[in-house]
Amino acid sequence: MRISTLGFTAGSVDAMQRQQASLARLQNQLALSKRVLSPADDPIAMVHILELERTQSASRQFATNATLARNRLSLEEQALVDTTSVLGRARDLVLQAGNVGTLSDADRRSIATELDSILGSIRDIANRQDGAGEYLFAGFATGNPPFIGAPGTTPTYVGDQGERLLQVSASQRIADGHHGFAVFMNIPSGNGVFSTSVSAGNTGSGSIDIGAVVNRASWVRDDYTLNFTAADSWEIISAGPPPQSVSTGVYVAGEPIEFNGVRVTVSGQPQAGDSFQVSRSVGESVFQTLEDIIGELRVPAGSAPANARLASGLQGTLQQIDQASEHLLGIRAQVGVRLASLDAIETTREALAVDVASSLSELRDLDYAQAVAQMNQQLVGLQAAQLSYTRIAQLSLFNYLR
Amino acid sequence: MADLLNTSISGLLAFQRALDTTGHNIANAQTVGYSRQLPQFTTRLPQQIGSTWVGSGVDVSSVRRAYDNFLAGQSRASSAAANQAGMFATQAARISNMFGDSEAGITASLQSLVNALQSVADTPASIPARQGLLSQSQAVLEQLQARDASLRSLDAQMNAGVASEADSISALAQGIAQLNGQIAAAQARSGQPPNDLLDQRDRLLDELATHVGVDVVTQGDATVNVFIGSGQPLVLGQRASRLVAIGDGFDPARQRVAVASAMGTMDITASLSGGTLGGMLEFRQQMLDPARNALGRISVALAEVMNEQHQAGMDLRGTLGGEFLAIGTPDVRAHENNGGDARIVASLGTSSALTGSDYVLSHAGGAWTLRRQDTGAVVPMTGSGTVADPWQADGLNIVHDAGVPADGDRVLIRPVSDAVAGLALRINDPAQVAAAAPVIAGAGASNQGTASVGGLRVTDAHDPALRNAVTLTFIGSTQYQRSGDPSVHTLVPGQPIELNGWQLGLQGTPTAGDSFSVSDNANGVGDNRNALAMAEILGRPVLDGGSTSLQSAVGQMVGRIGVQTRQAQVTHEAQQLVARENANALDSVAGVNLDEEAANMMRYQQAYMAMAQLVRVADTLFQSVLDATRR
Repeated sequence: MRISTLGFTAGSVDAMQRQQASLARLQNQLALSKRVLSPADDPIAMVHILELERTQSASRQFATNATLARNRLSLEEQALVDTTSVLGRARDLVLQAGNVGTLSDADRRSIATELDSILGSIRDIANRQDGAGEYLFAGFATGNPPFIGAPGTTPTYVGDQGERLLQVSASQRIADGHHGFAVFMNIPSGNGVFSTSVSAGNTGSGSIDIGAVVNRASWVRDDYTLNFTAADSWEIISAGPPPQSVSTGVYVAGEPIEFNGVRVTVSGQPQAGDSFQVSRSVGESVFQTLEDIIGELRVPAGSAPANARLASGLQGTLQQIDQASEHLLGIRAQVGVRLASLDAIETTREALAVDVASSLSELRDLDYAQAVAQMNQQLVGLQAAQLSYTRIAQLSLFNYLR
Repeated sequence: MADLLNTSISGLLAFQRALDTTGHNIANAQTVGYSRQLPQFTTRLPQQIGSTWVGSGVDVSSVRRAYDNFLAGQSRASSAAANQAGMFATQAARISNMFGDSEAGITASLQSLVNALQSVADTPASIPARQGLLSQSQAVLEQLQARDASLRSLDAQMNAGVASEADSISALAQGIAQLNGQIAAAQARSGQPPNDLLDQRDRLLDELATHVGVDVVTQGDATVNVFIGSGQPLVLGQRASRLVAIGDGFDPARQRVAVASAMGTMDITASLSGGTLGGMLEFRQQMLDPARNALGRISVALAEVMNEQHQAGMDLRGTLGGEFLAIGTPDVRAHENNGGDARIVASLGTSSALTGSDYVLSHAGGAWTLRRQDTGAVVPMTGSGTVADPWQADGLNIVHDAGVPADGDRVLIRPVSDAVAGLALRINDPAQVAAAAPVIAGAGASNQGTASVGGLRVTDAHDPALRNAVTLTFIGSTQYQRSGDPSVHTLVPGQPIELNGWQLGLQGTPTAGDSFSVSDNANGVGDNRNALAMAEILGRPVLDGGSTSLQSAVGQMVGRIGVQTRQAQVTHEAQQLVARENANALDSVAGVNLDEEAANMMRYQQAYMAMAQLVRVADTLFQSVLDATRR
C-alpha cells in the first residue's frame, strides 16, 4: 500500500494524540482517585454509586435519629426510676399509717404532709423537660406542662395521647417516649378487675378487704353495692341501669362473700344501712391515689366507722401503689425493649455501612496499582510512537540525492 | 537525422513536463486535499519510411490526477457519520458531566431533603431544624434549576448551532456550484481535466460532508450534483440552493432546517442526517429534550407529593399547612398556521400518570385528537374539555377555554417544560412547616377492651369539620355512637373509621363502654407525624402510575444519560476508525509520497539526460556526414 507523506504525518500525530487523550483521562482518574468520573464512564456503576451514596447519607441520618431516640428514652427511664423510688417511699408511709391503733391523728397528719410532698415530687417528675425544653410526658403537646393544678389539688392531664415515632432505619420507627396519660393517669384501679371501698356514711365498724378474683369469666363488669339490709344480712345490687339484686346472704364476720366470680371479705360489725362499694376497675391516676389517702389520713380517726374506713382505705391504697409500681415497671420494660431494639438496629446499621462502603469503594474508587501500571504502559506506548515518528520522518530519498 | 533530433526534442519536452509535474507534486506534498498528478506518456505517431514504421518519440498526452471517486464517496459518507457521532458524543458528555457529580448531584440533595425532614421529625418544635429543612428545600430547587438552566442554555446553543451550520452549508454549496462552472468551462476549453480545480471542488465536498450527509453524483461534463436529506437538490450544476434555519411552527425559538429554492422553502429537518448538523439535530431530539422532560417530571412529582402531604399537616402555629412548593404550569403553544382562535389551557393532574413526552392536540373533522409527540401514538382523553369537566390524559387536564378551532389546527402541549423554572418555595417562615398532623386520637380513660388507636390519617385536609372534636363511644364490640349523634354505626374489624376527612384505625377489639376521641391537635408542637410522612413519601413510588420513586426516577435519568453518552462515545470511536480507514484508502491512491517523487525525479532526470545525449548523437551523426562530404 502506498503511504503518502502527509498521511503518514497526520496518522502519526493522530495516534499520538489518542495516546495523550487516554493518558489525560488516566491522570484525571489518578488525581481524583476515582474510577468513574461521569455516568458515561460506566452508567450501571454510576447508578449503583448514586444509590449507595444515598444509602450512606440516609444511614447517617438514621444514626442521628437513633441517638436522639436513645437520649430521650434514657431520660424517660430515669424519670420512671425516680417515680418508682418515690412511690416506694409512699408505700412505706402508707404501711406506717396502717398501725391505726398506735398512731395519733397528728402522726397521721404528718404522714399526710409527707405524702403530699411526694405527690408534688411525682408531679415534678411528670412535668420534667428534656434538654430542649420539651415536656417528656406531654404526648405531642410538648410546649406546655402536661400536669396542671394548684398545689394541694389533684393534677389534671392536659397533654394528649400522641406518641412521637423516630425513623431509625429504612423500615423501623421507634417511639421516643410515652405520654403522661399512659404513664401516670391510666393505672387500673383495684386489682385490675374491681376495687373496694367503704361508703362514707357507715355507722358500723365494718371494713372491707381488697378482695380477689375467683373466676374471671363469671365477672360481669359493673359497679356493685354491698348493702347491709340488717346487721347480719347483706344484698348485692348492681348499678345497672336498672339496678338489680345480684345476690343476698347472711353475714358472718370474716367470712368471704362471693358473687359473679369475685370474693370480698367484710370484717367488723356493720350496722343495718351500712354499705360497701365493689366498683369495676377504672383508670386511676397515681395522683388520685395519693390524694385520696392524704384526704383520709387527715380525717381524725378514733370512731369505729372512721377506723374501718381508714383501714380499708390504707389497704386499697397499698394495693393501688403496688399496681402503679407494677404499671411503671411495665412501661420501663417497654423502654428497655426499645433501647434494646435501638442497639440491635445500630448493629445492623453498622454492618450494612461496612458493606455499603466496600461496595462503593469497589465501584467508585480507582485501583491504583492497575491505573499506575496502565499509565506506565501508555507512557511507553507514547514514547515509542514519538521516537519512531521522529526516526521515520527523517528518512527521505532526497537525503541521498547529492 | 532530423527525425532523430525531433525524437530527442519530443523526449526532452516530455520529461521536462514530467519533471514539472513531479515538482508540482513535491510542492504540494503538504497541501491538504491535493491529489498527486501523473504525466501520461504516449508514443508519437510513427512515420512510414518505405515499408516500415519508424517511431518518432513521445508526448505527454495528459496530466492525470490519481483519484478514486468511489473511495472518495466512501470517505465522505464515513466522515459524515463520524462527525455526527462526534457532535453527539461531545454534547452528550456535557450533559453526562452535568449529572455525574455524585456528591453534589440531585440524588444526594434529594436525600439531604429527606434527612432534613427527619431532623424536623426528630425535633418538631425546633426552629433551627425547620430552618434547615427550608434551606435544604431551597438547595434542591437550586440543584434542579441549575441543571435545567444548563440544559436550556445547551438548547439555545443547539439552535444557534443549527443556524450557523445552515449558513456554512449554503456557503459551501455556493462554492461547489461556482467550481462546477469553472470546471465545465475548463474541460470544454482544453478537453483535459482541470486537476487542481477538481481537487478544490473535492475539498469543498469533503468539508460539506463534515457538516451534513450528502449524495454526490458526477455528471458527464465533470460537474457534480449534490443532494441532501431525502434527495433534495443542494447543488445542481452551477446552481446552488440555500439552506436556511426556520423557526418551529409551535416554537419560533426552536430552529429547524429548510431548503430554500425557487419553489419556496421546504422543511427537511426530519430527513437530515450525518455531519455536525445531523449530530446536533439527533442530540437535541434524542437526548436534550428527554433530559429536560425527565428533569421536569421529577420536579413536578416532587412538588406534588410534598404539597399533598404538607397540606395534610399542621404548622407550629396550629394552622393547616399550605402548599410547600410552587411549580411551573404546562407550556401550551398554538401552531403559527392555525386558522382558528381556539384557546387551550392545560394544567397538571396526577404526576404518577405523567410520561415525560410532549403532546400535540389537533382538531380535525370537528373532533380533537391528542397524540404523543415522541411516538405519534393517539392518547385517549376522557372528559369533555370544559372547565368543569376537562379532558384528562396522561396526567394532564386540558380545557378548550375559548374560541373556535379551524380544521387542521394544532396545539403543542409541553407538560413539564417550564416546571423546573417555576419551582419555588411557597413558605419562608420556619414555623409554617407543617410537621404535625392536625388531629389527634386518644383512648378513653377507662377503656376495658383490647382496642387501641392504630393510626389516624388525614385523608381530606380540606374537610371543614376536620378538626372538630368527636368522641366515639362503643355500645358493643362492633357498634358505636358518635358524640352528638344518637344513630348507631357499625365498625367493620380491620377497616378504619372514616369521618370529617380523617381515618381512624383501631387495633384490637373494643368492648361496650370504651370510647375513643379524635380532637384538634392545635397544641401538638411536639407532633412529628406529618414530617415523618413527608420524609416517607419521598421514597415512595409515585411516578409511572406508582411504580417508580423520585430517587429511582433520578437514577433512571442519570443511567439513561450515561448509557446514551457511552453509546455515543463508542459509536464515535468506531466511526472515526472507519472514517480514518477510508481516508487512508483514498490517501494511498491520491496522496503524495516524497520518496516516490524523488525516485520519479531521478527517473525523469535520467531520461532527460539520455534524450539530451541523443541530441549530441544526432549532431555527431550529422557532423560525420558533413565530414565525409567535406573536400
